Amino acid sequence: METSMSFDPFVVFALGCAALSVVLLVWFLLKSRPLTRALKIVLLFGVGILPLATATTGNVAGYNATKTTRFCSSCHVMTPYGEDSWNRDSKSLASRHARNEMFGHENCYACHADYGMFGTITTKMGGMRHVYEYLFHYRQLDLNTALEKIEIRRPFQNSTCMHCHSTQNPAWNAVGDHASSLDDVRAGKLSCASEGCHGPAHPFSKAIKAAAKKAVPK
Amino acid sequence: MTKLLRVSAVLTIIGLAFMVWSLVQPTPMPVILAMSVGQGAGSLAFGLYLYVIVVDLRRDRRRRRESLQNIPTQKDTPTS
Repeated sequence: METSMSFDPFVVFALGCAALSVVLLVWFLLKSRPLTRALKIVLLFGVGILPLATATTGNVAGYNATKTTRFCSSCHVMTPYGEDSWNRDSKSLASRHARNEMFGHENCYACHADYGMFGTITTKMGGMRHVYEYLFHYRQLDLNTALEKIEIRRPFQNSTCMHCHSTQNPAWNAVGDHASSLDDVRAGKLSCASEGCHGPAHPFSKAIKAAAKKAVPK
Repeated sequence: MTKLLRVSAVLTIIGLAFMVWSLVQPTPMPVILAMSVGQGAGSLAFGLYLYVIVVDLRRDRRRRRESLQNIPTQKDTPTS
């Protein structure tokens, strides 16, 4: 599992500003002082400028953090997905993509984010729904039940795959299955991640779901 | 006024605590709390600070105006 904390200059800057601000505020709080011009300027930095800098850089750092696989798998129900993507021996579609430097530490986001002009916004709104669902429905679930119950909200879009695999490349079209299903793939009628093609992306969860279906008495 | 500034300072420290928490532990809850409660507390604190400064400046200006009005003019000074 990934444990190393990468150096983020935004985090360092934000922490520095916060520390400086706290020093100024504690200095002010420890002794009552007359409201002179100097004190007003000190407080302008302590209450205004430095916390504002912390909030601004903290937002950027927070936004970057929300894209990492470590962030996604910090909810226990997503841990197996994160671990699978870091497993170099795994042959799952997700893991093979995660080994690509372009996906790297943001491999969940790279495939599950919406693209387009408002893609980031819709992705973040979806993320808020994930937090809501986790807090009110899945927090208490044990891992096996969660893997069995949790499904992707809507079918995985081929447009996400086509962001890199354009389907225009002659080498891609030279594959017989690609050439025969080109229109269906482009129209999204046949999923790239469907079983028999390149999927499922996270096979272990499918296996648990299939086992659970078999176990249900008829 | 100083009391309000103290409240503002304490609110800022609370807001900063949430922000620092989200930076040190970037998981969903700390990040959401930092961007809502933390920044809310920080904004309120800065608002209080601005209020105190504006009130103080107005008071200062009024005091200065009053002191200027109290300066006896040449017309008012008794002539012998």
